Amino acid sequence: MKNNKRVMTLPGMAVLFFCAIVPLFIMLAYSFQSDSGTGFTLENYSRFFTKTFYLTLTLRTIVNSLLVTVISLLLSYPLAYIMAKHLKGLKNIVMVLLIIPFFTNQLVRVYSWLIFLQDGGVFERLMNTLGLVDGTMGLLYTRAAVIIGLIHAFFPYMVITIYMALERLDNSLLEASSCLGASKTTTFFRVVLPMSMPGVITGIMIVFVPCLGTFVEPRILGGVNGTVIGTVIEDQFFEIYGWNFGAAIAFILLAMVLVSMAAINRLGRRYEG
Amino acid sequence: MKCKKLLVGALALSMVLSMAACGSSSGEKDAKDGEKTKLYVVNWKDYGSDDADFIAAFEEEYNCEIVNTYMSSEEELLTKLRTSKEGDIDVCLPNCTILPAAINEGLLEQVDTSKLTNFDSMFERFKTQKECFKDDKMYAVPFVWGSTAIAYNTEVIKEAPKSMSALFDKAYAGKIAFRDDYNDAVMSAAIVLGQDPNNPSDLDAIKAKLIEQKALNKTYWKTGDEFSKLFAGKQIDLGLMWSGQAAAMKKDNQPISFVVPEDGAIGWVDNWAIPSGSQNKDLAYAFIDWMISKDFQYNWASKGGPAPVNQAAAEAIDPEYAASAGMDEASLNRLYFMEYRTDEVKNTWNELWTEVKAE
Amino acid sequence: MIKSIFMKIYVLLTILFLYTPIVVLMVMGFNESRYNSLPFQFSLQWYEDLSQNTRLIEAAEHSFYLALVTGIICVLLATLFILGVQSLSKRTEGLCRSVMMMPMSIPWLIMGLSMLLLIRFIDMDKNLLFVAAGHVVISLPYAMLVLQARLHSIDPALEEMSLSLGAPPLTTFRRITLPAIAPAMVAGGFLSFMISFDNFAISYFLMPAGISTLPIEIQSSIKFGFTPEINAISTIIIGISLLCLAIVGLIMGGSLKNVLGGNK
Repeated sequence: MKNNKRVMTLPGMAVLFFCAIVPLFIMLAYSFQSDSGTGFTLENYSRFFTKTFYLTLTLRTIVNSLLVTVISLLLSYPLAYIMAKHLKGLKNIVMVLLIIPFFTNQLVRVYSWLIFLQDGGVFERLMNTLGLVDGTMGLLYTRAAVIIGLIHAFFPYMVITIYMALERLDNSLLEASSCLGASKTTTFFRVVLPMSMPGVITGIMIVFVPCLGTFVEPRILGGVNGTVIGTVIEDQFFEIYGWNFGAAIAFILLAMVLVSMAAINRLGRRYEG
Repeated sequence: MKCKKLLVGALALSMVLSMAACGSSSGEKDAKDGEKTKLYVVNWKDYGSDDADFIAAFEEEYNCEIVNTYMSSEEELLTKLRTSKEGDIDVCLPNCTILPAAINEGLLEQVDTSKLTNFDSMFERFKTQKECFKDDKMYAVPFVWGSTAIAYNTEVIKEAPKSMSALFDKAYAGKIAFRDDYNDAVMSAAIVLGQDPNNPSDLDAIKAKLIEQKALNKTYWKTGDEFSKLFAGKQIDLGLMWSGQAAAMKKDNQPISFVVPEDGAIGWVDNWAIPSGSQNKDLAYAFIDWMISKDFQYNWASKGGPAPVNQAAAEAIDPEYAASAGMDEASLNRLYFMEYRTDEVKNTWNELWTEVKAE
Repeated sequence: MIKSIFMKIYVLLTILFLYTPIVVLMVMGFNESRYNSLPFQFSLQWYEDLSQNTRLIEAAEHSFYLALVTGIICVLLATLFILGVQSLSKRTEGLCRSVMMMPMSIPWLIMGLSMLLLIRFIDMDKNLLFVAAGHVVISLPYAMLVLQARLHSIDPALEEMSLSLGAPPLTTFRRITLPAIAPAMVAGGFLSFMISFDNFAISYFLMPAGISTLPIEIQSSIKFGFTPEINAISTIIIGISLLCLAIVGLIMGGSLKNVLGGNK
């Protein structure tokens, strides 16, 4: 029986092996080649680490991604919790509403933010009318605009994963906890949060990781300071045909991703266990 | 249980439907295209050659079908050429940034100009366009040219800027949209600093100039779409822009004017080429010949396209319009035409630009 | 009571945030200005233009079929994998899981390019199979994540009990496991469908000449500026998907809950 079950993993693993791992190894080979095309070299990697501005950009990327992840978590958890525990029939509608926006094109969504946030745009007029802000806000082309765009692009995924985890949480557990005299806060931190941790961890990954590699939102909403690692990679491949250096940066990014995934996993396991 | 069955049924049904739709549409196509040759063209979207009227006329004349694929950068076209197989592409549109590389790697077919009836009516300077040649053999045919210079809002700026330094002028702080492009950035800074834009002598000075300029920008624009929306939304007053798009925006009643300033600006040429391995060379020649004909070039240029290489077409255009779109001969003579850059130069310039953006 | 109102307001606000750009893009589809500039002037011009634009409509259809195929394959692969992987030893299980998740951590741009290199390496023509494979690879992790989060909750004892009571494995699967993960399968399928529907990078590199998807069309029109026809088609797509969901909801009545919300 057990052997039978093992076979079931094969189709997925096969697809992944041929369509992701093998191609990536070909790419990895590129990252160790010089532009002149011959021999093994580390120059692409050393070039990245010896220039301070690449490190500045890396830092900028990480800070952006962290901010987006934290804010998304603060935004998503309550929403997922309310959906799972308090909305009853409505929650399905909310779930559908979360998904619908993704049937529009990412670029078009980002351009819509551009129109919404610009000086004299809808948002500014609204704020002025409400009397909350006077005059121009200068929100577009700032880090804030990039963060808003990225949160918008990724937080629904986080809501879905956390919701999935919370949804299975048995109400009787909560009742038991409160019967045993635990306060609501205690119940939340001792029962609800640990139980929903797998969903939270998954949610963090599903937001943080793609943020590291993204280039559309920073480029369009970030103005003169919108350059991040993702845009550098994009430039290498699309503007100057620097496949070797571009591949090297991509693998540095990949290393960052793997390290952070391991860290998130460990953190999660500690909390759960 | 019942609803689950329904769901499965719905899924299965949609699958069958989709397959049926796929099958029927492809089947239809095969039958229809059976007798027609397909000409595979790689070009920019909305760049004249994919105009519906032209396609209809050409397809009728030569009993063929034009299949357009679009590129989003020159490098990508080079990648396509390198990775495509024989017969994948019949005609493509490279410019000087990739032409010498493509020629050297044997990716392009040598052009026999005697097969092009309209070749003789081209401006002399384009017949000898440096990047199209290797060892005196021609591998690409100039199609259109244009400039990257200053576009400005005529409601705000009453007098045309006289120098590229307008883009570096504190008077317009916060109202400038510079282009996010290493080549244009380095070249325009070089023009302002009085260096040779194609062989700048002092890159450190250029970097300093660009860093100084950075704070004056509303943003660096990446796509023409961004620029046009920012301009129409009154977010910017002037910026580095392509002549063609400025002309198109003017046609749309935007208060925009385009100027190639006295100290010069950046010029570029797009060329048609036939990839080696093309299975439809005769058709490809016919296509290119049509593209450089007086009628086509005149029509497209006056509809808001870039400047024609066909002299007769250029002379037929309304002089006032030509001047406002930077198509006149005076503008042409002020341009520094972009030259081929080696990988090393590209890397250095791109890294410089990345450093400016990271600052 | 106050708490419940407060919660509803919170939900409303997040939904509002989510729909901000969507509303903007819908409204701009009815705006006369080609550059989306204000003041707003109502016009149906872009919808008229769109109805003539067979290229764009065809591209949208291609996107739909591709996403449908991707979604279905992803659900099947992910379900098989998730069920099978538990029977591996702890260490191999962890390894397999992280390998399957890997494509999520790689920019799609890189995935597309590296697959292109592979196709060249084995000297084959671009074809739709590769496009679909590429879409499956990047969408699969999303389907898996949802399934995984769900499967954590199934008590293995339940399955064992069923087996030890003499139920054949298939029956156990049908009666115990499947009902438990069905909602996650649908949700996972939805996610993969979405990822694929809006994917540009993979299609762009792997698509054979002459076929295009909606994201490809949009990306290539952006160099000089896209017209609000794009807004119009996006609005129509949103409308159609809302309609479909409403119909499914009507057919299934109150049991829509079973599809999306879990089996409680």
